[in-house]
Amino acid sequence: VPQLQADVLVIGGGATGAGVAWDAALRGFDVTLVERHDLSQGTSGRFHGLLHSGARYVVKDHDAAVECVEENPIVRRIAADCIEDTGGLFVTTPDDEEAYSERFVEGCRTTGLPVEEIPVAEARRREPRLNPGISRAFAVADASVDVWKTVWALARGVQAHGGRVLPYHAVIDLHRDGDAVTGARVRNELTGEELDIEAGFTLSAVGAWAAQIARMAGVEGVDVVPGKGIMIAMNHRLVNTVINRCTMPADGDILVPIRTVSVIGTTDIHTANPDDLPVTQNEVEQMLDDGERLVPGFRQARALRVWAGVRPLFQDQKAGAVGATRDVTRSHALLDHRERDGIGRFLTITGGKMTTYRLMAEHTVDAMCRQLGVDRPCRTRDERLPDSEGGKHYHLGSRLRARDSELQTEQVICECELISRRRLEETMHRRGTTNLDDLRRSLRLGMGPCQGGFCIYRATGILHGIGRLDGAEASRSLNDFLQERWKGSWPILYGDQLRQARLDDWIFQGLLDVEHLPEAAAA
Amino acid sequence: MRPDAIVVGAGLAGLSAAVRLAEGGARVLVLAKGVGATHLGAGTIDVLGYARGRVERPLDAMDSLPDEHPYGLVGADGVAAAVDWFKRCFAAGPLAPYSYTGWVDENLLLPTAVGAIRPSAVVPETMARGDLRGGARVCMVGFRALKDFHPALLADNLARAPEGVEARSAELDLKPEGREDANSQAFARAFDDPAFRAEFAAQVAGRLSAEERVGLPAVLGLASPHEVWSELEHRLGRPVFEVPTLPPSVPGMRVFATLRDALRRAGGQLILNAVVMGAERRGARVTALRTRVGLREVVHQAEWLVLATGGFPSGGLELDSRWRACEVALGLPVAGVPAPGAERFRPGYFEDHPLARAGVAVDGELRPVAEGGERLLENVLVAGATLAGAVPWKEKSGDGLSLATGFRAAELILAGGNFGRSEARAAAGA
Repeated sequence: VPQLQADVLVIGGGATGAGVAWDAALRGFDVTLVERHDLSQGTSGRFHGLLHSGARYVVKDHDAAVECVEENPIVRRIAADCIEDTGGLFVTTPDDEEAYSERFVEGCRTTGLPVEEIPVAEARRREPRLNPGISRAFAVADASVDVWKTVWALARGVQAHGGRVLPYHAVIDLHRDGDAVTGARVRNELTGEELDIEAGFTLSAVGAWAAQIARMAGVEGVDVVPGKGIMIAMNHRLVNTVINRCTMPADGDILVPIRTVSVIGTTDIHTANPDDLPVTQNEVEQMLDDGERLVPGFRQARALRVWAGVRPLFQDQKAGAVGATRDVTRSHALLDHRERDGIGRFLTITGGKMTTYRLMAEHTVDAMCRQLGVDRPCRTRDERLPDSEGGKHYHLGSRLRARDSELQTEQVICECELISRRRLEETMHRRGTTNLDDLRRSLRLGMGPCQGGFCIYRATGILHGIGRLDGAEASRSLNDFLQERWKGSWPILYGDQLRQARLDDWIFQGLLDVEHLPEAAAA
Repeated sequence: MRPDAIVVGAGLAGLSAAVRLAEGGARVLVLAKGVGATHLGAGTIDVLGYARGRVERPLDAMDSLPDEHPYGLVGADGVAAAVDWFKRCFAAGPLAPYSYTGWVDENLLLPTAVGAIRPSAVVPETMARGDLRGGARVCMVGFRALKDFHPALLADNLARAPEGVEARSAELDLKPEGREDANSQAFARAFDDPAFRAEFAAQVAGRLSAEERVGLPAVLGLASPHEVWSELEHRLGRPVFEVPTLPPSVPGMRVFATLRDALRRAGGQLILNAVVMGAERRGARVTALRTRVGLREVVHQAEWLVLATGGFPSGGLELDSRWRACEVALGLPVAGVPAPGAERFRPGYFEDHPLARAGVAVDGELRPVAEGGERLLENVLVAGATLAGAVPWKEKSGDGLSLATGFRAAELILAGGNFGRSEARAAAGA
């Protein structure tokens, strides 16, 4: 088995893991990050895209709110290019108790959260589709954040500092030397090859999967309560400001405008297996009803896609029985396994949220430095991520403006998301991937209204044409993508999106007959 | 002019019904929101490609379809009559001698743009040489500027097929008007130009091996496809065939052009951008349609109505977020929709989905019926993809169904009505 050496092995390629790797790399450690799937394919890639102001937590979870208040401006600065400064509104709808708004105002005061009550008429001027029955409106500093861009920027930063980022590398065992973890054996999920990574320190940042990794080090009792939440992306910007219901955190109370869509979330259901997250019809109905409360007519709007994510809510065994997952703290948990379990050079970071990924990373690497007895201060507060050096936020027209000129002269492969052939080929080469779903995450390929109806055949042909795939592999990749699209599509197929799906059926089944490709028959 | 019949929809079903009605002496008005599925499909007349497994003989295999399948409404004879009529439309049409070949008793096996092999019964002459039954040696030729056709992928997949196909590919850098990104329609216009054809033939000639047929994207001309195709066969000295691309469908546009021309010659009228807003009724009869054309509201009265607005993809049927389905133009009930809470779709993309067969149910004379089977409207006939009971994209039956039920709707109306221009009807051989 071939070997690699690293100062620090980071397990997990979500926002937390990438943030930890970036933090450690900036402090001069030689870092290797492994992720069993693609980067940000787990929880990070499956949330609504909200950069919290903290207002959501001011009544219920003071500590979480304070963390958000501190981190929000930092993330806005260091990851500017990944952020759209939408602002947020908390609105009291006719279904919400007026008394909560007073507690909300008080909570904002005690947590130091900047908030401004604005007249209802002003709120409705800003957001004309908002429920006309709202009685109060509060403006806060919510924003939307592109998590794929953020995680890839962190990964590129790590690489620029000499670190390695290895997607599709699953940890199959941790190495122990006496009372210390000394690295891991990983398996390349694409080739099946195994690799030993010898590491001076191992950091587990795998969210809801923390127990599985801890167990490989012989650590038991790391209880992460996976809380499943579904989100639905609507095909339009129904609102341009993040809209929250001014009420105790509950289901379906947030609508986030992000890029060309708006995302409603979410539910919260305790789930046993974080790898199995079915979307139920009840949940979909609930989200649509909740959407109606925020934006009347929501059910007539076009739903594009639904997905489920899993929150890693940590609850140590000693803290008692698990109740409703929403009551478990949203603050993160850092487990020093030397103190807790007598196993050195191994930490687990879990819980938390995208908004506080940087803080979590800082705490984690601080703890590692303490254990190693070195003093290297954190630099992530000030160091901007690649592509965010200019400090300018993304806005809705950024993508079109950046690409408008090339779209006049180049071949456009995905008309929905404005992806040219050159950009597609470059990304195929740079990422070295043959997986259409990886390209989707990197480029947004197939994420627009037609959900890959036109671009996926084209992308498959191009992947094949530049020699990345033979016919059988190309057919498999195409099939996998169609199945992956279907998974996020069928629970919300009605209205215009059903119409679109039927057109796609005509293309893939009627016209191309993908179902009867030789490989499809064998699979 | 007050028409005898209004046909709603300008896809294959609507145009077939309209042309046939007009030929039979009826005054016909076609109202359509836009062009229909002709521009999206392959341009072939797929009658039945899959029933229980791949179908070799479509007419024979119709017996194995479930009773409620709409082919039961027209029968094998009805399908054959419609296809025969369709082929004759081309012989007399503006693109002649461009013609359709093949027959409903036997499927050809044609390559698709991704390199699957698709059974199809009646196909443009320009596609027929792509029949892969008994194996073949082919060279698939595409264009870098045409992103909707990938010859290397096509060839690679064909070569893996059990039919025994030797396939390779070539990609040319020819660009219509120098554009990096040109769709099938732009290429078709370019191929109508003799200079472009000559340049194409010169570039491709040296790259072919002996005994190799040449497969091309279906872009061999919109104005004169027969001339384009036969000239290329002549210049290259070998069989040449078209393979359907992603939409827009050039062969489908030829179908549309041919039927529209036939309609005009038979005295019918076609209005596009006409959206049906509702109907006026007297008892069980629709007496008039309220339509919107641009900003104007126009009411059209007629004795007969053929509804051929398509299914969910065309907007003829709709399903709302509470799982209520309706037929959009007249508000007819939709059969085959699972009850709220029941399963609509299965998790596997290629599985049989419970919603797939939803549509308007009709009686033996194509009149819409309620859930209990009672006829709802006496003078409305439903044709094409609006009908319940088929999974056309899976069965490869959509073209045959649309053509045969559209044709059948016209025959039923002609049989039941007494239309003035009997000499025209006689001349059309009704």
